[in-house]
Amino acid sequence: MKDLVIDREEDPGNKTSQRTDVSTSRTILNVRHLDIGFGDKHVIQDVNLAMPTGSIVSLIGPTGSGKTTFLRSVNRLNDKVSGFWTKGSINLLDQEVLSKEIDLLELRRQVGMLFQRPNPFPMSIKDNVLAGIKAHKMAPRAAYKEIVQDALEKVGLWKAVYDRLDDSPFRLSGGQQQLLCLARSLAVQPKVLLLDEPTSALDPISVEAVENLFSKLVPEITFIVVTHSLAQAKRISDYTMFFFDGKLMESGVTSEIFENPQMPETQFYISGRIG
Amino acid sequence: MATSVVEDALANSPDDHGKFIPAKLGRWSPITVISALSTCVPLLVLIGILTILFKKAYPAIKYNGGGFLIGRNWRPGNFYANPVTTNGVQHPLLASYGALPLIIGTLESSVIALIFAIPLSVGAAVIVAKKLHPRLRGFVGAFLELLAGIPSVVFGLWGALTLGPLLSRDIYPVIASHAPNIFILKYFRGSTGAGEGLLTSSLILGIMIIPIIASTTRDLIAQVPRLAEEGAFALGMTEWEVTRKVTFPWISAGVIGATVLGFARALGETMAVAMVSGVVLGSYPTNIYGTFTTIAATIVSQLDSALTDATGLAVETLAEAALILMLITLLANVGARLLVRRVASTSLPIGRGV
Ligand SMILES: Nc1ncnc2c1ncn2[C@@H]1O[C@H](COP(=O)(O)OP(=O)(O)OP(=O)(O)O)[C@@H](O)[C@H]1O
Ligand SMILES: [Mg+2]
Repeated sequence: MKDLVIDREEDPGNKTSQRTDVSTSRTILNVRHLDIGFGDKHVIQDVNLAMPTGSIVSLIGPTGSGKTTFLRSVNRLNDKVSGFWTKGSINLLDQEVLSKEIDLLELRRQVGMLFQRPNPFPMSIKDNVLAGIKAHKMAPRAAYKEIVQDALEKVGLWKAVYDRLDDSPFRLSGGQQQLLCLARSLAVQPKVLLLDEPTSALDPISVEAVENLFSKLVPEITFIVVTHSLAQAKRISDYTMFFFDGKLMESGVTSEIFENPQMPETQFYISGRIG
Repeated sequence: MATSVVEDALANSPDDHGKFIPAKLGRWSPITVISALSTCVPLLVLIGILTILFKKAYPAIKYNGGGFLIGRNWRPGNFYANPVTTNGVQHPLLASYGALPLIIGTLESSVIALIFAIPLSVGAAVIVAKKLHPRLRGFVGAFLELLAGIPSVVFGLWGALTLGPLLSRDIYPVIASHAPNIFILKYFRGSTGAGEGLLTSSLILGIMIIPIIASTTRDLIAQVPRLAEEGAFALGMTEWEVTRKVTFPWISAGVIGATVLGFARALGETMAVAMVSGVVLGSYPTNIYGTFTTIAATIVSQLDSALTDATGLAVETLAEAALILMLITLLANVGARLLVRRVASTSLPIGRGV
């Protein structure tokens, strides 16, 4: 199947390449003329993109190309960074993310995030998993036990920690901590997960496990994954978007991007000559 | 796989194992010796002070006995009559000392000071670290440190001349007439005095220790990894939830440490309390406004007259009181250490870089 990634309607001869596979599938994320900056620094320039519901999309591009900045704008995590500004529109789950009226807390429940390095909270393993549940009052106390087991089983951590749920998460290995953070994000039943190089702290076996988990969760959850591993992008993602110098250079079905890139920068990058 | 091969090799050849750990070499290196010595210095100083104090206080300990800890009279006796000897200790006629009011006054005023200071300091630290514009942050921070440097006699003077009279005229009577006659609140009723007393002293002490707790807490907050807090925001927590569930647990051990520093300062604070407590020996305040005294304030206010005691008992008794003050301070430190250990063992990333 070929879903649309970008529709061409507003692309009057832009020099970036955007595939035009026509599709009827619903888009979960629709970005229009997005500009982002910090003070005088213009980091993202006129990005237009759309992502279909229930897919895995990878964001690739050289370091400093704005992938993280873009990702963190989708859940408004940059708000507190001094000098941060945006222009344009990010439509996610039929809400305007950049609008002042949006319910940020609810947005962030629906849009989970996993960071490059594990960031467990200073509370027990169990409470880490429940942190979001409690914050959003999503379940009665009686259900906590089940929720914890469920989330930890999903990420394959249950067997390793079932007998030390009340221990500090900081005694877990780095990879286990990352899995715990994933379990924490999954517990609140997000519709979208933003992942910023989520597997760079994991060993190959855990990477495979996490990737398999993504594909298992995929119709229910849409994944937007920043990755420096082109192999990973190829393996897991349905669509790939190539960022270059703050612009979305090229985007489309993953196999086409990798087999038949249109832009010279993309060609260079995926053949390992930039970045 | 490479690592596991190495590990296997190490595990299977215990003889080779030792090669990788040059323990013997490191044991008596100059650095080890120097650091061992410098670790000992504070301990030696502490033991030295305690020993000297104990020696000085010994006759008083013998004469006053256990009654010193539970008695409430402070009677230096008759300095002009002929000295009497009891238990081998020479003392003025009818001398009798009980330090319970001082001990209780010391603890009460310091604890009340903490009750004021902890929420205010932590609140101030949170606001300074999280809410203020970076430029203003430096300014307010410098102001906090400045506050910590104000001599206690200045606080004392301000308390005695300005704050105390003001409170007792405009604030205390209002509280006193509205406080219900229940639990602890009943101690807020009754006569409010002229401004010298327990509550005024505690307020002054509280103001004096706020900079200690607040500036440490502010520094601790600044050290909390942003990644952890951002993770909490990304999960949809409110600012308050993030502060409560991520920031505070992260810094709690340090805040307890800072609190103990503040507590110790309050326990030992002399001048300011001597100036606003009323220094009433031998009785308890009947309500929170009442005059009272602390160990430190008693020592400074009584030393002059104690020196006129030809038998030396009065001075020795003050040394005994000082010894008790030191023990209370030490106990507070030990208690804090235990508390820190409990707090830290549940959740803190001690010994792990995150
Ligand atoms: N808070 C900030 N203030 C100023 N400039 C910033 C800030 N954050 C990011 N930038 C700049 O924005 C640009 C994009 O950064 P970003 O972190 O989004 O890149 P990235 O694509 O995620 O890179 P990497 O692959 O190395 O993670 C960089 O030039 C960076 O210096
Ligand atoms: Mg990045």
